[in-house]
Amino acid sequence: MFIHNFKYAFKTLFRNKMLIFWTFAFPIILGTFFNLAFSNIENSEKLKIIDIAIVNNEDFQNNEMFKEAFKNLSDEKNEDRLFNTQYVTEEKAKELLENNEITGYIILDEETPKVVVNTSGINETIFKYVTEEITQTAEIVKTMAQEEIAKEMMAGNYQIDYQKIYQNIQDRVQNQEANIKNVSNSNLSYTMIEFYTLIAMACLYGGILGMVAINQNLPNMSSNGKRVAVSPTVKGKLVLSSVLASYITQLIGLLLLFLYTIFVLKVDYGDNLPLIITLAMTGSLAGLTMGIAIGTLLKSNENVKTGILISITMLGCFLSGMMGITMKYIVDKNIPIINKINPASMITDGFYSLYYYDTLDRYFLNVGSLLIFAFIMISISYLSLRRQKYDSI
Amino acid sequence: MKPDAYDIKSKLGVVFQDVAVFEELTVYENIDYFCGLYIKDRKTRKQYIEEAIELVGLEEFRKFYPKQLSGGLLRRLNIACGIAHKPELIFLDEPTVAVDPQSRNNILEGIKKLRDRGATIIYTTHYMEEVEIICDRIIILDKGKILASGTSNQLKELAKIEEKVTVEINDLEEKEKDKIQKLSNVDQVTYNGNVLIVTYKKGQNNLSQLIDYLNNKSIKYNKIYSERPTLNDVFLELTGKELRD
Repeated sequence: MFIHNFKYAFKTLFRNKMLIFWTFAFPIILGTFFNLAFSNIENSEKLKIIDIAIVNNEDFQNNEMFKEAFKNLSDEKNEDRLFNTQYVTEEKAKELLENNEITGYIILDEETPKVVVNTSGINETIFKYVTEEITQTAEIVKTMAQEEIAKEMMAGNYQIDYQKIYQNIQDRVQNQEANIKNVSNSNLSYTMIEFYTLIAMACLYGGILGMVAINQNLPNMSSNGKRVAVSPTVKGKLVLSSVLASYITQLIGLLLLFLYTIFVLKVDYGDNLPLIITLAMTGSLAGLTMGIAIGTLLKSNENVKTGILISITMLGCFLSGMMGITMKYIVDKNIPIINKINPASMITDGFYSLYYYDTLDRYFLNVGSLLIFAFIMISISYLSLRRQKYDSI
Repeated sequence: MKPDAYDIKSKLGVVFQDVAVFEELTVYENIDYFCGLYIKDRKTRKQYIEEAIELVGLEEFRKFYPKQLSGGLLRRLNIACGIAHKPELIFLDEPTVAVDPQSRNNILEGIKKLRDRGATIIYTTHYMEEVEIICDRIIILDKGKILASGTSNQLKELAKIEEKVTVEINDLEEKEKDKIQKLSNVDQVTYNGNVLIVTYKKGQNNLSQLIDYLNNKSIKYNKIYSERPTLNDVFLELTGKELRD
């Protein structure tokens, strides 16, 4: 009975064009669009080296932090080189700017830098922003050094090695920057963020499969369900075999999505692919059980249920950052409970955690959360199914 | 019956009014699926499926999908799915609604075969002529209540209509209709679209009496015939003629 129902549940799911579109074709089509849209954005975002000038006056010569920072950012050997810097007089800098040979120039008045640009644009903004960052860092180093010196003097140590203190603090600040850079340099691009949300969406769309499969066993939902209800079959076996067929169908859909993104769209999932697949499988289970729960709880027809499920999935994906990662942060900051119960958010958070954290604690937290979510959904469905009795079908 | 009364359920066959088949499965697969819910042995099942396909005349449509079938063929598939496992008690809920005459004939013949095979069939319908053809015992239900039950003849006696005479008359004046109403034994007279129907509660030679009256009054008629009341008359008599929702 189990195998008989499983075989036919599998056949009906695979031959259902609407299901195949939403669970197989739609994520692939969306992935193709993401790839076209975001790869162009990323290519356009690759920064060109900006031509700038620095007025090589006495104040600049005395400002070690500025000298060192711009030296690094202009170093030809540096892969992240940002500037092509000329050290000139103020007159020459003005002349270069007038002739549009440079984006702008900096002139230091004591420790305060003045950025001079002609127009506003991306290059000018980056130039100003970087200069401000360096100024702020210099301020931090200065403040921290003053505090350090004060501490030393309070402790009665008046033979202070100012040079050493400045150097230590500078190193600490730079190391901190290096840490931040390491984290942000983890190749989690816009495209990858979108692909992870896409996988989350594909996982949750599997709910449609679960819902359709369960509807075929519910007498109040489908004519076939009535026929099944009057047959001498154990309901649990039928439901379980239908759910298993749905899950396998969904996993085949996910496999196709992964193969398509890896081999056609050339998406690089890195060394974490087994963990990503494991999370996707868990996410699929969560999606599937959510579909089953909606299928059993709502009394409306299948089209309405499908609409509700797709809407919930899209909303979940939107809140988890599908249309922009900022949304995820906004929700996390203002209504964190939403992302705690949003399976799309659990899935994407699990994916991001592989990039942002050295340990797998957060990853497994999300896997666990998804399993708990699936358990709750299946419990709700079970209780709802047990409660259903039909006086008339 | 409890949901887990599997021994009882295994002897039942239900053909619902709504066609209950999978759009994604072929004719053969649909029958195999539903039959498989009752019959585990594959060899027996295969034999039963073939018999069911033959019974409803779908031999040429085994590999067709439901959407490729006409309404009548779909109804026949619906029946095959409900009876393939050879149930002892079969419920058929209006299986001939909106089907062509050929399919209806095929379905009714199939039902007779099932009956002859030994199955008890509970057949729900509004088509009284079908009831007269296939039913041994009839129950007339109205608003969930049994109004009458028995054989076709028993029900006709219940209706208290002995004879019905139908006459085709081109023009009949209202005063003539009233006079016919007053003839002996006449129960009811209706005149709609050149058809005069006179029903009698009792008596004999009602037809000749009416012919004599029409001839005496020089009322020309095209056709005149007498018949026993049908189940349709009985149904209307018992349930009333007012329109229903």
